[in-house]
Amino acid sequence: MKQHIKSIAIGAALFSMGPLGCNSDSDTGPLGNVDSLIVLQRVARNDDGNVFSYTSYIPGAHLVKLSPPTAAGTKTPICCDQQPELAGMDIQSYDISFDATQIVFSGHSAADSNYGIYLLDLTSSVVTELATDPGRDYVYPIFLPGNKILFETNSVVSNPVTDPMPAQHVDEYERATTAQVGTINIDGTGEELGPRNLSHRVMPDLASDGRVIFTQWDHLGPENQGDLMFMNTDMTDLREAFGKEGDSASNSTLKAREISPGRMIAIATARDRTIQAGAIIDVRLGIPYETNGVLAADQSMSEANATFVNVTPDVPVDNSPSADTIGRYYDAYALDQSEHPQLLVSWADGPVETEVLSAAGLNAEFGIYQYDTTTYERHPIMQDPGMWDIFARPLEAHTAPAITASELDNTLGQEALIGSMNVYTSTLHQFAPGSVYGVRMMEGFSSEEGFPMMFGTTEFEGHAALGVARVASDGSWLAHVPANVPIHVQAVDTFGMSLFNEPVWVSSRAGESRVCGGCHENRAVTTVINPGITQAAAIGPFDAMGEVPRANRQMATADIVNPNLIQADGTGIEKLVGMSWGGADPTQSGTTGAVQQVYDDHCVSCHGADNKAGIPGYTITDAMGNVVLNWTFNLSSDPITVNYGPATDDGPAMQTFSASYFSVAGPDMEAIEMNNLMITGNFKVYMNPEDSAGSLLIQKVNPTQLFPTPNAGVRAFATTPHSTEQGYTELSATEFYKLILAADMGVNYYARENNPHSASY
Amino acid sequence: MKTMKKLLAVALLIGAASTAQAGKGGSYQAIGSAINSNGQDAIIAEVERTEALECSQCVPLVQNLLTDNRYPVRQVAAWWFAKRPGMQQRIAAQMVTQLQSGDSISVRNAADFLGTTKVYKAIPQLLAAMQHAGLTVDARLALVRAAGAMAHVSANPILVAGMADGDASVRAAAVYAWRDVLSQTSAAPVEQLLGDTSPRVRAAAITVVGAYRDVSVRMQLESMVKTDTDTNVRRDAAWALGKLGSSASREALVLASQDASPIVASVAKASLAALH
Repeated sequence: MKQHIKSIAIGAALFSMGPLGCNSDSDTGPLGNVDSLIVLQRVARNDDGNVFSYTSYIPGAHLVKLSPPTAAGTKTPICCDQQPELAGMDIQSYDISFDATQIVFSGHSAADSNYGIYLLDLTSSVVTELATDPGRDYVYPIFLPGNKILFETNSVVSNPVTDPMPAQHVDEYERATTAQVGTINIDGTGEELGPRNLSHRVMPDLASDGRVIFTQWDHLGPENQGDLMFMNTDMTDLREAFGKEGDSASNSTLKAREISPGRMIAIATARDRTIQAGAIIDVRLGIPYETNGVLAADQSMSEANATFVNVTPDVPVDNSPSADTIGRYYDAYALDQSEHPQLLVSWADGPVETEVLSAAGLNAEFGIYQYDTTTYERHPIMQDPGMWDIFARPLEAHTAPAITASELDNTLGQEALIGSMNVYTSTLHQFAPGSVYGVRMMEGFSSEEGFPMMFGTTEFEGHAALGVARVASDGSWLAHVPANVPIHVQAVDTFGMSLFNEPVWVSSRAGESRVCGGCHENRAVTTVINPGITQAAAIGPFDAMGEVPRANRQMATADIVNPNLIQADGTGIEKLVGMSWGGADPTQSGTTGAVQQVYDDHCVSCHGADNKAGIPGYTITDAMGNVVLNWTFNLSSDPITVNYGPATDDGPAMQTFSASYFSVAGPDMEAIEMNNLMITGNFKVYMNPEDSAGSLLIQKVNPTQLFPTPNAGVRAFATTPHSTEQGYTELSATEFYKLILAADMGVNYYARENNPHSASY
Repeated sequence: MKTMKKLLAVALLIGAASTAQAGKGGSYQAIGSAINSNGQDAIIAEVERTEALECSQCVPLVQNLLTDNRYPVRQVAAWWFAKRPGMQQRIAAQMVTQLQSGDSISVRNAADFLGTTKVYKAIPQLLAAMQHAGLTVDARLALVRAAGAMAHVSANPILVAGMADGDASVRAAAVYAWRDVLSQTSAAPVEQLLGDTSPRVRAAAITVVGAYRDVSVRMQLESMVKTDTDTNVRRDAAWALGKLGSSASREALVLASQDASPIVASVAKASLAALH
């Protein structure tokens, strides 16, 4: 990573300078040729949610034209008092058409229940509405070439074959219905919804290469950040742009707008408490170069080459309260393409941090400024008390880029094709030659399917194994997967254990082919394709439940506790899908699940509550030396009672999950540290999420070879198997793989198979 | 300047903010500080950050939030307990009792807890509470919200009861919730709300029958798109007719495409293009 941060002490230079007005030289400055600005005015607020929140209805928003674009300019409201049905309008965001004759905006009138998409004709002032679902929210609209509009919505794409009536993903952490991408023709026809991420996608903008850049919430276990992504205007070919490989300035990167090819201005901030505002960073997605005063960075664009310059170095990029005169920036728009561009910004003074503001009974007051990234001077242009003045844009025509699209393969029907040409080509991991047997695909889902707002203690989302595509001798693999579904992939060895995770969810449209060069290959290097086709293409794609209905992408009830699903020839492995740990109610005794079955049949005779095996336990004590917990390894299904201290008036118990789950998943270590608790004794976590090979329990049982066919004579580790040491009946290939899947799919308690929603009440 | 001094004082009191990583970095002190500020976003952020924190001191703090007068705060507090199934079950038992014997605020709080943490076994008690006389609109809305959060067909009777409620906001909420119940197969109970006295309820009902492509109400929608007095109802009827896609709706949509409201007219024109 070649990250460089220009950190320049600026001290008093950040104090606001004089306004741009009659005495300024703005007629020769970057706004000199601009007749007017469009500004969105929203009623100031303090509780607008985290950076992914997209609904925050307070009536009273206006689109305002400022002409000339100076502090002395005339403000003219252009929307939305002209039509009575638009009374009480809040406007969430907007965009100006390429010919500057129309504005598209996301609005919510007093009579509406949701945000819809409206078009304002700047000549007639008439506002029309696109025919979107009035029961769903449509936000962040932008114009696309080809008379289309792209938006984000909590409406959900259906798959007529596998999922005709799906529920939109509801992130188990944030609880909001996720916003996903879609497009619609400018006349309101032809709405299409794109493939889904498991969490939100927000704040899109159009780059000059025709691709859409947006912020994606990457949330997969410990991954939890807002990164910039690219996609084609037809919602295909998702690619990472910035932030995923640790090259970002902050937890989340938002509101990216292109300065020049390969170069974006964006907001860097924490996920929450900062009112979606932060520092301004100048992101270079490739190697920067200058031509005729234009600094671009569209050469060798890749995460590995991406850098950024913080042009507001004193502004916190976390959620610390900012200092007086430093404040935070809501958005930025570049007025030129030089190395140090002039920006139109929306800025508020003070902490711009929700807790401090709430305690003081105040709101952030965003106003419009011109910001010089050389001198760090701000020149005020417009600020109305009690209003947020945001998203200032010159009202001028701009060039529409080319339409970007991928050819869809109609023969795929409602499936998508994913794969790579050589899985061994990776910037993130070095695989030993021949070590990768295949690539496992797992579907992701979340609270929308009725789970009680969690899947266990490890903070992973719901997983269902769709199968393992074998890697051919040239390193290639291909698979048919359900379209529009978030997929998590892992390279696995012949034991079925993960060698490496792709740490994000990927998804594809129906008919889309997404074949990468490798396993997170270098994006700046041309992938060399062997003459002809890959071996995987010649063999044909693996079927990873591409056309299996969602309701059937789980184990049959009778199979859940069947220890012998995998046959000698390797068939039957497709019956192992979700790894339910125990029963639907983790506080009920005597329940079982796919994982508990293994413990019940092989382990609890020694590793039950009576601890016949005599494994030393561990003790958690608090800072005062009081014993919080004494725990001994226990693989039974008994519900456990863990006492972390006085809990409520009627009892101290904090009862959590089954004994086997607590024993194997362990308490959250961050929780132990943060609470100043100490652990003494024989403390171990026996399963590591996404890391079966590194998990003590897996090492102890020492799995036998699974692929291409089970072979009990070949073990994963050189150590003596626990069954040999202790003389219990060896696990079957099915049972080994259950434990491996449980680890590699996040050490969750819940899967579709034990979803409490599935019962009748 | 006075404002700045106030802010500075508050900032010094609050001290350094916690890290931004979701689900991590929280503490009892940070939750307490957020609660003291009374800032909704701050409270939510700090409760979320203690997702897995083993923090006995946090318990009474978060439990108090279950009675906050803001739904998002009650929701995040319930979510926090959902991560701790043992405590969640004990509180759920208390909440079920509250449903049966509590006042309206207690019923509201109980319904939000049971709905957020998806205590499906409490569906009969939620339905029974829905039939109690004297509950406030807030309490009835919470009962409907709980059924919507569970999205379980077993809770359909709660939504049907909500659709018959005397308050339009409850009826509208019940209608919207009906749409998103998992494995729901029909919009039949919603159809009668097309004739509701409240335009907001009519609009909600239209949205649901449109989403379910309920062709049995096509003629009623055609009448509404032409004659309903409310602009949003006509707009939504135009959208729903486009979803139904019947060529028989052409005349009604052509007429609607000349509606005095540009909003109705534009949606009707788009729906015309969707007809078979």
